[in-house]
Amino acid sequence: MLAKHYRSFKQDLDQRGIIFSFSGYMSEEILYSLGNALRQKMTIEDADVTTVKKVFSVFVEQAQNIIRYSADRLAGHVGKSVELSSGMVTIGTEADRFFIVCANVVLAGDVPRLRERLERLRGMDRDAIKAYYKEQLREAPEEQSRGATIGLIEIARRASEPIEFDFEPIDDDLFFFCMKVSI
Amino acid sequence: MDNLKVAATERSPEVDFDFERGVLRLRGESYPEDASTVFGPVFAALEGFLADAGRRAIEVEFDLTYFNSSSAKALMNMFQMLDNAAGAGAAVTISWFFAPDDDTMKEFGEDFSEDLEHVSFKLVPVG
Repeated sequence: MLAKHYRSFKQDLDQRGIIFSFSGYMSEEILYSLGNALRQKMTIEDADVTTVKKVFSVFVEQAQNIIRYSADRLAGHVGKSVELSSGMVTIGTEADRFFIVCANVVLAGDVPRLRERLERLRGMDRDAIKAYYKEQLREAPEEQSRGATIGLIEIARRASEPIEFDFEPIDDDLFFFCMKVSI
Repeated sequence: MDNLKVAATERSPEVDFDFERGVLRLRGESYPEDASTVFGPVFAALEGFLADAGRRAIEVEFDLTYFNSSSAKALMNMFQMLDNAAGAGAAVTISWFFAPDDDTMKEFGEDFSEDLEHVSFKLVPVG
């Protein structure tokens, strides 16, 4: 029963073209290890350098967004001060393209600003995104954002199609945020 | 002043600043949790050198294969700092290395160099 259950879980992931999926507490060490495995897998399977770089870059920005901004986090002392952020990153292929999906819990109060940023990027063509990136590179970081804007622009720049995103309310204070990028 | 030498880590580049020769080189990948921990010491050393060096020449070599968006911001600051120094009379040369099949790194080199007014900038394909 145990094997049957988990085999069907694994088969479901495989059928969706998922290369790997991580759900839980994310850290910079996990980011590093998953990122390396991703690059190795893509390189072994002869993906070209530019595609490997694009997928890796979107993965890093998404994972670091979870680490910095997930509203589901734990902090404590384990020999040193440790802060863990929960979220999900899934990478796979469909219709000859790579896709990278990230999801995490966000505060309801942060939703309008995040939505506005993503809508703005969706409305831009490639040249406009590039110009916006350069403009933001020169700007001082916005308060409290710790570089979120530039990270989202980097993701939009590497994407082959406009970024898909969605929010689902969890309760009065929290939303489940999800973003999908195709390359 | 002392040279600045920082070994590469899994997510940060090797930094080698030879004050005697006036050569600063960054090599590797950069996607640390906090870009300021990597670039803070580089900025401080560069400011010290430029204040000390007056009109001496400095060569800066960027040999990077990947960096995240917060590192990109720090790199842009470095370019601005170097261009200001060059505008004030220092002879500044920047070399930006990239693998010929790596369009992303080449484009970053082009992007960063667009605003330069006083620095001598070279885009160098390697390998």
